[in-house]
Amino acid sequence: MLERRDPKTQSEGIVAGYAQTAQRWPAEPLVRRPLTASELTGPHDLPKKLRMLRGDLAGKGEKRAAGQLIQVRARVVDEDGAPVPGAVVEVWHCNAAGKYIHPNDSNDAPPDPNFYGAARMVAGDSGLVELRTIKPGAYPVPDTGGWWRPPHIHFSVWGRVWLSRLVTQMFFPGEPLNESDAILNALRDADARSRCIARFVPSKTNYLVYEYQIVVRGRAATPKLA
Amino acid sequence: MKLIPTGEMTLGPFFPREFAAGANHLGDEIEVMGKITQLDGRALDNVVVEIWQADRDGRFDNPKFSGWGRAATDAKGIYRFKTIKPGAPKGRIAHINFLILYSGLMRQLQTTMFFELAADPVLDAVPEKRRALLVARREGTVYRFDLRLRGERETPFFDD
Repeated sequence: MLERRDPKTQSEGIVAGYAQTAQRWPAEPLVRRPLTASELTGPHDLPKKLRMLRGDLAGKGEKRAAGQLIQVRARVVDEDGAPVPGAVVEVWHCNAAGKYIHPNDSNDAPPDPNFYGAARMVAGDSGLVELRTIKPGAYPVPDTGGWWRPPHIHFSVWGRVWLSRLVTQMFFPGEPLNESDAILNALRDADARSRCIARFVPSKTNYLVYEYQIVVRGRAATPKLA
Repeated sequence: MKLIPTGEMTLGPFFPREFAAGANHLGDEIEVMGKITQLDGRALDNVVVEIWQADRDGRFDNPKFSGWGRAATDAKGIYRFKTIKPGAPKGRIAHINFLILYSGLMRQLQTTMFFELAADPVLDAVPEKRRALLVARREGTVYRFDLRLRGERETPFFDD
């Protein structure tokens, strides 16, 4: 069975300084339910259903996206620390100027024709996915009186079962905007916040390397259900 | 070693459109659709809805049937899936699991759509007066399941 999450390590539904949460998070208490096979199984054929997209958002040569070249080594593990091979990982982020490839982004920062912005990968045997990209920029959130999002990369991850699904954001170490970001700071526990910040790994490569560990719900010993 | 699951954070407003495209077709028997609204009644654009359901026999491990799908709402707040009607899994009545991801939702919202009001361990966990909100309305082969995130006739959501 899945263990309940420690609420300190997760966000509350309504977050001060993030107005949309008060329109969208339920007012009624969430209902606790018994877990059956339906919740404790999950999509087994996602790589067949979802087309994989390049794990390289930066391009090369004249087609190189503007910005600092980075590699993100993200490892998907379960609550036992066991790798989750075959985990599907989606990532998306804005370009170095802070502009997303999305019609709803009203920020007047310039688009980058050489930047793509979205990748979908499958974790290997060690649970690892490697993303080659450029470091995303910071950007102001409209109509908030000065809230700037720190550089971050969005992650959408599938673990072993339906309830292991995780959507989160990865942050970069040493960014002053991390201290005031309403989304990162919605996690009440300081250790939980620090686990959402990637680790810089010194290397002699021509790109900067960051490591990030993603822990999805579930234990390796979870019994198989019919 | 016991690790703590990574904290969830909002999907944000810029989920790539291509990620949601084309993944809402599971079968050709029924359509499951509905409108998603927030507290002030406004219909929500680009909400990501994911479903997980059993096959016709109520099984979750059928290699020939993918029980997973994803759709995004349009500018009128409407999502649509084409699928088959699931069978009743052991100990349950027929149902489809729903997962809602959106800007302004710091955590995923989990709910379940049912085809009828009947005894079921998950439906029975919901306060009795709210259970009918989880039953889809049938119009021919279309099952309509509206989701109100907050406010009047708010959809019951689960905490797992």
